[in-house]
Amino acid sequence: MNQLLSVRELSFSYAKKMVLGALSFDVCEGDTVAIVGANGAGKTTLLKTLCGLLEPTRGSVLLRDRALKHHKARELARCIALVPQEIQVSFDFTVLEFVEQGRTPYVSSFLGAFQPEDHAAIARAMEMADVLHMADRKFSELSGGERQRVKIALALAQEPQVLLLDEPAQQLDIGRQAEIFTVLHRLNQSGMTIIAAMHDLHSVYTHFSSALVLRPDFSFTYGPPATVLTAESLQEIFGRHIPAAWLNGIASAANPDLQETELK
Amino acid sequence: MSAAIGDTVIRNPVVTRRPALAPVLAIAVLLFLLSVLTGVVSGAIHISPRQILAILAGRHATGATDYRTILLYIRLPRVATAGIIGASLALAGVLFQGLFRNPMAEPYVLGSSGGAAFGAALGMILFPGSTLLGFGAAAMFAFFGAVLTISVVYMVARVGGRVPTVALLLSGFAISMMLSEASTVIVYLGNELSVNARNLALWLHGSVAFSEWSQLVWPGIMLLVGGLLSFPLRRILNVFALGEDYAKQLGINVELSRALLVAVGSLLTACAVLLGGIIGFVGLLVPHVVRLIVGPEHGRLLGLSAICGASYLILADAFARTVVAPTELPVGVVTAFLGGPVLIYLLRRSKREYVL
Repeated sequence: MNQLLSVRELSFSYAKKMVLGALSFDVCEGDTVAIVGANGAGKTTLLKTLCGLLEPTRGSVLLRDRALKHHKARELARCIALVPQEIQVSFDFTVLEFVEQGRTPYVSSFLGAFQPEDHAAIARAMEMADVLHMADRKFSELSGGERQRVKIALALAQEPQVLLLDEPAQQLDIGRQAEIFTVLHRLNQSGMTIIAAMHDLHSVYTHFSSALVLRPDFSFTYGPPATVLTAESLQEIFGRHIPAAWLNGIASAANPDLQETELK
Repeated sequence: MSAAIGDTVIRNPVVTRRPALAPVLAIAVLLFLLSVLTGVVSGAIHISPRQILAILAGRHATGATDYRTILLYIRLPRVATAGIIGASLALAGVLFQGLFRNPMAEPYVLGSSGGAAFGAALGMILFPGSTLLGFGAAAMFAFFGAVLTISVVYMVARVGGRVPTVALLLSGFAISMMLSEASTVIVYLGNELSVNARNLALWLHGSVAFSEWSQLVWPGIMLLVGGLLSFPLRRILNVFALGEDYAKQLGINVELSRALLVAVGSLLTACAVLLGGIIGFVGLLVPHVVRLIVGPEHGRLLGLSAICGASYLILADAFARTVVAPTELPVGVVTAFLGGPVLIYLLRRSKREYVL
């Protein structure tokens, strides 16, 4: 498979506080990668470095073998889109006005006007994220799940190859979570590479092809969820004081393979 | 209205239809023309619309030359001045509200009012009675005071190549307060410093008096340049509303855009200061009113705000010079007293919360 993103020896520190240490991993086209780690493990920071919002303190992120900082900002915005976790929208935009901003990297910021293909891309993005029917509603009046899908629609309007999501299912009930994962699954079917910071381990097992596990000691493991998210590794990530039986339950409930091996 | 299907409750979603642009624009232009007519007609000497048409067509009766002079050399330049100031302030207001994402942001937010006040006071002390390009020393000094203050504020707020908006807002506030208090001291010491304190106080409240056509050349150019530059910034303003991370992620150069917004906003503010001193409330109020009607998309917001700002100040000025004729009220007093109730009415009328 084609290698899309490669992270090489990436470290990141805010002032003197180290957040990420010497990460290296590759993401291929069509992969679905979950970033797993305790609160403060640097999941959001990693996502921000992956789309060029933050520059790594050391090491680099390569998009198609070229470091992010060597890509033009607008080019990058057409390849990688980030769906942030929480946003504060200052003005009372409608859903359509909000999603339209996703075309920013395609339209000249000074004199450009939307072309037919821009409107088409906006309509496609809203269709994909299942928000077409709420085009005239106000963003500020949407529910959490609707907002999440609208943010995804904005990102899709960028027509990216990689979609980065920060806790896309956070604080949603299981019905709304299912809607989000349906959208993500459909996108992945059409070839989109998806990288998401995740807390809910069930979803990681069921919806992602690989998991990147960030540990408190800045070490990491990367591989299929079933191999890297075992009861032992979960204890390492989230703390020794969590009863092993509980973690076993989480790991096995969502992971039939694991259940079988343990039964044997 | 809500309908229950099984155990799922579907609420009737609140749908926002933005008014179509064309009719709103047509109404705004009509209001503008009406306010121009009002501005031309009103004053100590009444000139009827019919006489105006006759004069403009060159068919005025002999003996009506006075009317012609009043119309062409007093009323029209004054209306044009008010229009330029109003449009500049409204545009600057949109730019600064968009940049700071703050409902209280207005054209003078970066300290230009303090700088202008201090400059005007200084100009009155140092060069009383002298003029340059048709402008008094007070206006010229106020203009440069405003520009200089904004530049200083921008540099003070700059930390390691970045200019965070909060730092920009607060340094603007701090420096503006210092300078405007300094000009208050000058007003107090007016007699000793041979400054006409009343003139200065009037100037500080804004006025559109003493305008000649020649004075309008430079401000006109500034408004034109500022307007032409601000319209392309609409897209950046829209993206800024989502936050700086979003803007950066969408490929926008945040620092450069911010510098551009500050520069264009300052040019427009300085243009208004040069012509009319410090006229409050126009730049704060007009963008809010227009936003309440057509929504926050900055393209339509900028265009309509410019037209409405011009109309609003032309009307306010017409009111200011007729209500206590033969003397005048400072136009800033009128803009506040007319605009305050309008904004409050619109806020109360809109059925849901106005979000900025």
